[in-house]
Amino acid sequence: MASKTNGLAANALATGTLVTDTTVDGRAYTDDGVFAEELVRIFTNGWVFVGHSSEIPEPGDYVTRTLGRDPVIMIRDRDNTVNVLANRCAHRGVTLLQQEVGNAVSLPCIFHGWTYGLDGALKGMPQPGGLSIARDDCSLDRPGQTAEHRGFVFANQSGTAGSLEDHLGPGGIELLDWASDLSPVGSLDLNAGWLGQEVSSNWKMWAESDLDGYHLGSLHRSLWQVVPDSQYQAAVMAGENIVKATTRDRGRGHVELEFWRGYDRQLAWLGVPRERVSDYCEALIERVGAERAEELLWQGPPHALIFPNLFLGEMNLAIIEPVAAGRTIHHHTPLLLAGVAPSFNQRVLRQSEAAMGPAGFLLPDDAAAAERMQVAFGHSGGVMDLSRGTNREVVEANGDRVGHVSDEIPGRGFWRHWHHLMTDHR
Amino acid sequence: MSDRLELIAEVEAFLYLEARLADESRYAEWLALFDDQVTYWVPKGRADYDPTTRVSYINDNRNRLETRVKQLETGVHYAQTPPSPMRRVVSNIEVTEQLDDGLVAESNFVLYEHSLQASNELRVWAGHASHGLRRVDDSFLIRSKTVEIVNSSRSLPTLAFLL
Ligand SMILES: [Fe+2]
Repeated sequence: MASKTNGLAANALATGTLVTDTTVDGRAYTDDGVFAEELVRIFTNGWVFVGHSSEIPEPGDYVTRTLGRDPVIMIRDRDNTVNVLANRCAHRGVTLLQQEVGNAVSLPCIFHGWTYGLDGALKGMPQPGGLSIARDDCSLDRPGQTAEHRGFVFANQSGTAGSLEDHLGPGGIELLDWASDLSPVGSLDLNAGWLGQEVSSNWKMWAESDLDGYHLGSLHRSLWQVVPDSQYQAAVMAGENIVKATTRDRGRGHVELEFWRGYDRQLAWLGVPRERVSDYCEALIERVGAERAEELLWQGPPHALIFPNLFLGEMNLAIIEPVAAGRTIHHHTPLLLAGVAPSFNQRVLRQSEAAMGPAGFLLPDDAAAAERMQVAFGHSGGVMDLSRGTNREVVEANGDRVGHVSDEIPGRGFWRHWHHLMTDHR
Repeated sequence: MSDRLELIAEVEAFLYLEARLADESRYAEWLALFDDQVTYWVPKGRADYDPTTRVSYINDNRNRLETRVKQLETGVHYAQTPPSPMRRVVSNIEVTEQLDDGLVAESNFVLYEHSLQASNELRVWAGHASHGLRRVDDSFLIRSKTVEIVNSSRSLPTLAFLL
């Protein structure tokens, strides 16, 4: 849709010089030109997470989202296809849908009454005798590519990003499969709605802090003082040489915290003993076999970033929405599973409310740190150090970089990919 | 003075006290206004849905509300360290239901918050509160509080203070 040269010409700052293997120039967060260029190179020319097909179970069900700053509609067609369409009348550019979620039988524009079908094709207009362009040219814009994996819907506006499979890589695909396989019928059922947290910081600080295993004991200390028995104490805060949790860079900007390696029991992530969810455990074994089921019951859901905007946050899914260089909305929904008892999903919802959102017990402190980073970097720079753990990181056979849970492997993995996309590799 | 005016004056005094304690981040005193069984709900948008199946900003029982207050009391809950200077105006108070053991009071509020922990913004919060009050001697205890914030249907800034 947008020309990828636009942001480049206008930007005085050479983005290729902002990042080294272990440092980031603060202007990567604060510079308006960098932000404009990201919208082109990352959010237009790359794959971006849109939503999950379980959010729109019935024909006509829709959610409105943004790709970068561009409003889109994700809607289920009568033939069950999930369409991603520009939320913008092809005539004079008015948004067609204003609600966050709903059901539509057609997509009318309020301005001149043009009406589109659920596939974005123009269905009708008042006084069609004056139409001076081909009717086929009056369909709603669509991203150049839309693709889905296990219900996770992604779009690439430019159509030039290669396949979704390439973007996700084996590491990203494994993460999406893992989250989905936690359901005893193999699918998520994200029907609890989303909450957004508005933050005065750059979007990338969320990609970092969501995947930072070093800060739990310090930034979130108030919560551990009050709730001393969470699964995170043993996993992350027991002492540098004791904790078993790890960090992992899966490549392509997809990065992970492996808290589960530090859990002290099965189902620590759910906070219940096995007897309480025996139906769930049996159904899981039934579907994926005993070996994988036992693994899943230990691990729980993944804690990972799918570059650039999807955070698989254990019992939550989050979307990082860039608004401006210094403004972000962090949206989340509880990771509800299809095929479980209502009480199971209620538990997930309760956990989600405790941790996430503007009034959760964790995210407000992350927001405070992110906002203070934004202030700290001011305008002319300052450099952020991301070298922690370079002295002990290990590269596994498949290329994954792995390290201590407190090491800045996820940050380095994120920025390596960012640098790759923001320089002229294409 | 009629019974009705007397009741309104009593409810007003109680809601003003609650507002002042919240404004001044007097956490323990604020919590002491709540009953042993509590529902404290800040829905997403209107309070017209089942909070056990849809997300809410806050859906606290007594236990979780205590955790919330204790976290603030640690002094290292950085989103509220230092506490936001705040002032709220509570108005349009109506007693909409009278029960054997209490009443329901509805009110509007406008709250100015200075988020000086980080971004230094003046934030304006506005909304409607519904208080379920249980009569205890010559005062009340809050057994339910539902706060609809006018712009909460999609997203909100950090809401780590007491609403
Ligand atoms: Fe955090």
